[in-house]
Amino acid sequence: MTKTEIRPAIGLGLERLARAEGLAAGLAEALEGLGAEAAPGSVAALPAAAVPADADVAAHPLAARVGICFVRPAVSGIAPPAELTAFGVRLGAVRLGVTRRLLEHTVAHLSGRTIGGEQAVRKQLIQGTLAEAEVTIAVVRHMLRAEPAVAAAVADAHARLTGLDWELAKLLGASGYLATGPAAEAYVSRLTAHCWIPGSGELTWLS
Amino acid sequence: MAELSPLLLELRDMSRELGGELRTMALALDADPADTEMLRESPTLSFLRVVGTPKAFRAYDVPAHAEQFTESCLGRVVCNIELARGDVSVLQAVAAPSLAGFTVDALGDAAQQDAFYRDFAKYEPWTFFGMTEARGGSDATAMHTSLDPDGDGGFLLNGAKRYVANADRGLMGVVWARTGTSSLSIRAVLLRRPAPGFSSSSLDMLGMRGARFGEMVFDAVPVPREMLLGAHLPASRRGLWGGNRAFTVVRLQIAAQALGAAFAVRDAVCALRPGWTGHELMSARLDAARELLYDAAVGADLDPDARIPVAVAKVHAAELAVETTRWAESALPPGTFLDHPLLEKWCRDIYAYQFMDGTSNLLRLAIAPSAGAHGEDS
Ligand SMILES: Cc1cc2nc3c(=O)[nH]c(=O)nc-3n(C[C@H](O)[C@H](O)[C@H](O)COP(=O)(O)OP(=O)(O)OC[C@H]3O[C@@H](n4cnc5c(N)ncnc54)[C@H](O)[C@@H]3O)c2cc1C
Repeated sequence: MTKTEIRPAIGLGLERLARAEGLAAGLAEALEGLGAEAAPGSVAALPAAAVPADADVAAHPLAARVGICFVRPAVSGIAPPAELTAFGVRLGAVRLGVTRRLLEHTVAHLSGRTIGGEQAVRKQLIQGTLAEAEVTIAVVRHMLRAEPAVAAAVADAHARLTGLDWELAKLLGASGYLATGPAAEAYVSRLTAHCWIPGSGELTWLS
Repeated sequence: MAELSPLLLELRDMSRELGGELRTMALALDADPADTEMLRESPTLSFLRVVGTPKAFRAYDVPAHAEQFTESCLGRVVCNIELARGDVSVLQAVAAPSLAGFTVDALGDAAQQDAFYRDFAKYEPWTFFGMTEARGGSDATAMHTSLDPDGDGGFLLNGAKRYVANADRGLMGVVWARTGTSSLSIRAVLLRRPAPGFSSSSLDMLGMRGARFGEMVFDAVPVPREMLLGAHLPASRRGLWGGNRAFTVVRLQIAAQALGAAFAVRDAVCALRPGWTGHELMSARLDAARELLYDAAVGADLDPDARIPVAVAKVHAAELAVETTRWAESALPPGTFLDHPLLEKWCRDIYAYQFMDGTSNLLRLAIAPSAGAHGEDS
């Protein structure tokens, strides 16, 4: 166990939960009662189990497969920016857990694969990406912890996770493009953030 | 910078129009990629199939500008960018000779080419190109599928291929397998369906679902000797290395499609934010990437063995396309992708270009200068 894991911190429980049980389980905890109407855009990402049968849903089979549902709110009631940012921190922790699931799967996959007579995980280009993944995970965890009230920092942390998830999916080769498995869940994690985090990149839509 | 001739400009405009028609089928195809009726009934897909067939085997003559498609790499790039701008997944659903055709062009003798294209014209089938196996795709020289002597001058095909486009619906295509242990013994054979011992199934993929990726299993499938490609060529050019030129053309097309899809995403963002100038940097990147691709295509037309510029173009186009979707995400209000399902679908489709025809890591290894080598100034 690393030093950072011993220190109690916001979101660590959420990260562990999502790592063990997946995106939907983590999101259900992270929402802390927020409903579809709290989302800053026209669609909210919610755990499918929490969505009423008569809700206005944007069908998405891939998301449904990992227990996520995209819902158009019936009433308006966007959460105040500070509350959304705080939720962004919790969602970031959940996504970290999802990313770590993907990383673990990727390392296991590459350890069992041979390329040019060598274990794939030993290829230097691959090791470089896996090392960067560890760095990004540490950086994102600390950004969420150190700057939980800075919306741009939270958005940046999410953008980094989206980028990292894709780097890991690439390492899975074509199996990272299957509709099943942790790369698909990571893609739904990206869409989930897209629904909840204003301008996960440059916040340019506000201008 | 490459100048487009008047005919190529006409080809570009025609492709743009056809791309718009591809788009009308995009969401239905993504929702139900097994629905082949819609594809079969589409005059646009049918026209694209004819345009993509070598002139001698076309069912009817096509206009002079459409001819440009098969005339040069530049023609293929110009056309693919615009078609993909319509919708990449529907474009991948065209029943065309595709990679199987390129392989037959490169490795088949006159009789094999004739037989392949005659059957193609007659049955209008989807075609497959089976190279990748479950245990690994990047290192083709390690493939396990084998061509074992049948004791009568022919072969029995044994093994399995995975992640192959049209695996379950293709009536004909090319499969790679080894006749011995050395990498020179990896050869391509023509295969038709139905054949005893040949089974297949489809795989559920994240995106690019129009290509109907799947798995093919071969259990002692009889392959007559005349189905073995490349027998008339020198030993060094009969197999994987002989196929290289074909792969270069495909790589350019794949890069062009990735870029076309990126343009589609940029266009969609601009349509959702009329008057917004914040797209200028992304637009400039896309325009520059198009020039890079045009130059690589012109280079490949002059020297089909000049593979590095093509690899550079493919690495860049595949990554820039993903970057464009991330840019779109930040440029649009939260949740927009779910309200505009085409945009969301393109995010998934675009990921495919990373894997198709060589992953970026493999291409990087090919691009990296070897010890002591230094780049040219030009
Ligand atoms: C959408 C799509 C369409 C496809 N269409 C076809 C088709 O029609 N026919 C067909 O035969 N195949 C097809 N493929 C398969 C494709 O060719 C393979 O996915 C690709 O060759 C990579 O093989 P792999 O998936 O087994 O990954 P692997 O070879 O296992 O590679 C895994 C990871 O390791 C990296 N890697 C590999 N070697 C090295 C190295 N030496 N150093 C560093 N990193 C390395 C790769 O870049 C990748 O990130 C398709 C795949 C997809 C996703």
